[in-house]
Amino acid sequence: MLKFPKSAAVAVLGLTLLSTPSWAEGDAVAGEKVFKKCSACHAVGDGAKHKVGPELNNTFGRIAGTAEGYKYSNPMIAAGEGGLVWDDATLAEYLANPKGMIKGTKMAFAGLKKDDEIANVLAYLKTFSQGEAASAPAAEEPADAAPVEAADSTPAVSTEPAPAMVVEASKGAFGLGRVAMPEEIAAWDIDIRPDGMGLPEGKGTVAEGDPIFAEKCAVCHGDFGEGAGRWPVLAGGQDTLTRERPEKTIGSYWPYLSTVFDYVRRAMPFGDARSLSDDDVYALTAYLLYLNDVVTEEDFELSNENFSSIRLPNEENFIADDRLSEPHYAKGVEPCMSECKPGPVEITARAQILDVTPDGEGDESTGGGID
Amino acid sequence: MVDDTDPKGTKQKASRRDFLKAGLLSGAAVAASAGAARAAGEPLITEIQDWNRYLGDGVDVAPYGTPSEFEAHVVRRDVPWLTADPVSSINFTPLHELDGIITPNGLCFERHHGGTAVINPADHRLMIHGLVDTPLVFTMEDLKRFPRENRVYFLECAANGGMEWRGSQLNGCQFTHGMIHCVVYTGVPLRYLLEEAGVKTTGKWLLAEGADSAAMTRSIPMEKALDDCLVAFKMNGEALRPEQGYPLRLCVPGWEGNMWVKWLRRLEVGDEPWAQREETSKYTDLLANGKARRHTFMMEVKSVITSPSPQVPVTHGKGPLVISGLAWSGGGTISRVDVTIDGGRTWQPARIDGPSLPKALHRFYLDINWDGSEMLLQSRAMDDQGLVQPTKNELRAARGENSIYHNNGIQTWHVNNDGVVENVEVS
Ligand code: HEC
Ligand code: HEC
Repeated sequence: MLKFPKSAAVAVLGLTLLSTPSWAEGDAVAGEKVFKKCSACHAVGDGAKHKVGPELNNTFGRIAGTAEGYKYSNPMIAAGEGGLVWDDATLAEYLANPKGMIKGTKMAFAGLKKDDEIANVLAYLKTFSQGEAASAPAAEEPADAAPVEAADSTPAVSTEPAPAMVVEASKGAFGLGRVAMPEEIAAWDIDIRPDGMGLPEGKGTVAEGDPIFAEKCAVCHGDFGEGAGRWPVLAGGQDTLTRERPEKTIGSYWPYLSTVFDYVRRAMPFGDARSLSDDDVYALTAYLLYLNDVVTEEDFELSNENFSSIRLPNEENFIADDRLSEPHYAKGVEPCMSECKPGPVEITARAQILDVTPDGEGDESTGGGID
Repeated sequence: MVDDTDPKGTKQKASRRDFLKAGLLSGAAVAASAGAARAAGEPLITEIQDWNRYLGDGVDVAPYGTPSEFEAHVVRRDVPWLTADPVSSINFTPLHELDGIITPNGLCFERHHGGTAVINPADHRLMIHGLVDTPLVFTMEDLKRFPRENRVYFLECAANGGMEWRGSQLNGCQFTHGMIHCVVYTGVPLRYLLEEAGVKTTGKWLLAEGADSAAMTRSIPMEKALDDCLVAFKMNGEALRPEQGYPLRLCVPGWEGNMWVKWLRRLEVGDEPWAQREETSKYTDLLANGKARRHTFMMEVKSVITSPSPQVPVTHGKGPLVISGLAWSGGGTISRVDVTIDGGRTWQPARIDGPSLPKALHRFYLDINWDGSEMLLQSRAMDDQGLVQPTKNELRAARGENSIYHNNGIQTWHVNNDGVVENVEVS
């Protein structure tokens, strides 16, 4: 354990790159991985349906903004009417900087930063485009017995240079594993506690959070956190917790603000996690406080300094687990075995009446849910 | 229920109502052919069948074997309206088609919050840090050099049955109870790893984190971590399935499934819980008075009759009938399961068959002679702590209808004279 073990994946990728004449050709297998960045919003392949974005079968040769049954933004429709047809060059430009190419497109995606990612995802999409599929280079079969050393001799491998690190063995009873380095802990330790432990330095205002939210969050969560379609609602719902249909939001339900910062930083935007700067997350958290009426001024600035002074309204309503003191458990008597009910038993509710069991017909919720 | 007009199992696409109808018809067909058999002998026996004459596939046709083509309808299914997107969603184990206590790997229900992470085990690392003497990083290879244990545990999502709080809604135990599975795990006791790093005396809580795009996190009390938690890399003898956290997951026996962090990459030791999204916004149980319980970790005593149930009606008419079901408790083993066929007026103890292991599924049977009249079937489990499974109305009286999680109320199936089964509630 004196070095990082070389990963087989890196080795295979390295080989593929070596045998690929230029980036522009792209590698469909690697592209499938890149497409994970898209799949929160787009489907492709057999039976693909529109999601947040249009389905991407037969994108190549498609006039922009014309997939049937999908509601595009006006600028995208205009671009198509102006003659924009999707091919290698136009797609590469769009994916590198969607808003830069089509101002006002509703694709809330920052863009792919690396040329090889773009080439690879295009090669992948090509395999779903009729007529183009044949001309797309067949994905390289990774050679099973690829010598791991190949990765070393491949200049194109873009993994971080292995730091010249002194690896310290574990001093525990088994002596297994190695000592974690401070940089490694810092890279992964992003959790924040209600007492503020873990907060990074930084700041952001409501006014700064507003455009970031509009660009990166509103497609799913709505402009005011009201939730688009069935995506989660982030604001409102105050005083609904005792009603028949409670609306649990940051303002109405969440006990601690630290959870908002922690969660947005670790998991949002959905499908592009860890892409926000700490200042962005402060600004978005401030904006979410504003949407929930916890702060009211647009110039309110949230920072690591004042963070712990902010309390959410529902904090005091969380209690410990006291299920075992409920009457049905606490009574502790032998269960009844005969003549347990006075008369014949009546049916009081039936699933047939609601009939929301999935069976391929129109599946509609009438209530309940798993969250 | 094999329908020989549909060997490929395309029936799974047909609606449930068609399915029920078909079940009744094929029952009738069997009766008719039995009559014919008396006259000339059953052709299945008197005539030589193709499979008896011609050679079948050789070995290696499927290097990784799959179930019989006649079982193609036995699959996980989802309820599309439950969640906004299949990437953060759930599907359900087909409990009605299974027997025994072990769930086959490919049928274990899935719940993830950011899709299935694809991780080459050579690239996977597990870090332990925080209030420890020495923060450590392990490779998968390192982990496989610690002493291992094999344990059978159920894993139940806290939201199992969550759609049924306001009344019976879904027709099928796959949907009402299918967010559960039970497999044998192979892994390293978490305590060995924590001891290797040396937990400081102030270390009272553990934060477990996944490597997926949701970077799922949960706080776990140190007492539990040192008790029976496992860091597992195998299920039912083979590597974890990708959707179950390949290459590494946490097992938190008897406690809600959300805590069994998949793609486990980090364990931080601290002196307080972290109040992460999955233990505040979610997995807290809202009561009727607006208060919400948190840290409701344990899965309570519970049972369900898996057959007959709405997806597997009684097609053979009156006579011998096997009533079969599952029981489990996060508190330990199941000491008894009672079954009623009259909606809870009279009960009789069922027969528990197969191993009775703590925090694992238990299989029970009641073998009856059905007289063909209507039945209201229920099962009621009791665990070795003496806790008895409550009725749905007892639960509602104590909690209201907005808890979402931890619905362990007694399930009722109505069986009509034709053997058709429906999810109902009773007085
Ligand atoms: C956050 C959601 C989201 C993500 C992530 C996303 N897209 Fe989009 N995409 C959209 C939306 C919404 C549109 C429609 C744009 C409009 O109407 O202005 C779109 C449009 C497109 C179009 C134009 C389709 C047409 O019919 O004109 C292409 C091509 C495309 N996206 C490809 C991608 C690729 C490739 C990725 C991943 C690298 C990606 N998108 C990531 C939401 C997204
Ligand atoms: C492509 C759609 C999408 C986009 C864009 C998106 N989210 Fe989300 N968001 C989701 C989904 C889906 C969930 C629930 C995830 C789960 O089930 O675990 C969620 C959950 C959340 C939650 C927790 C909600 C709750 O009640 O627990 C917060 C807070 C949140 N998002 C904030 C943001 C912010 C801030 C942004 C912009 C930086 C953003 N989201 C962008 C889809 C999206």
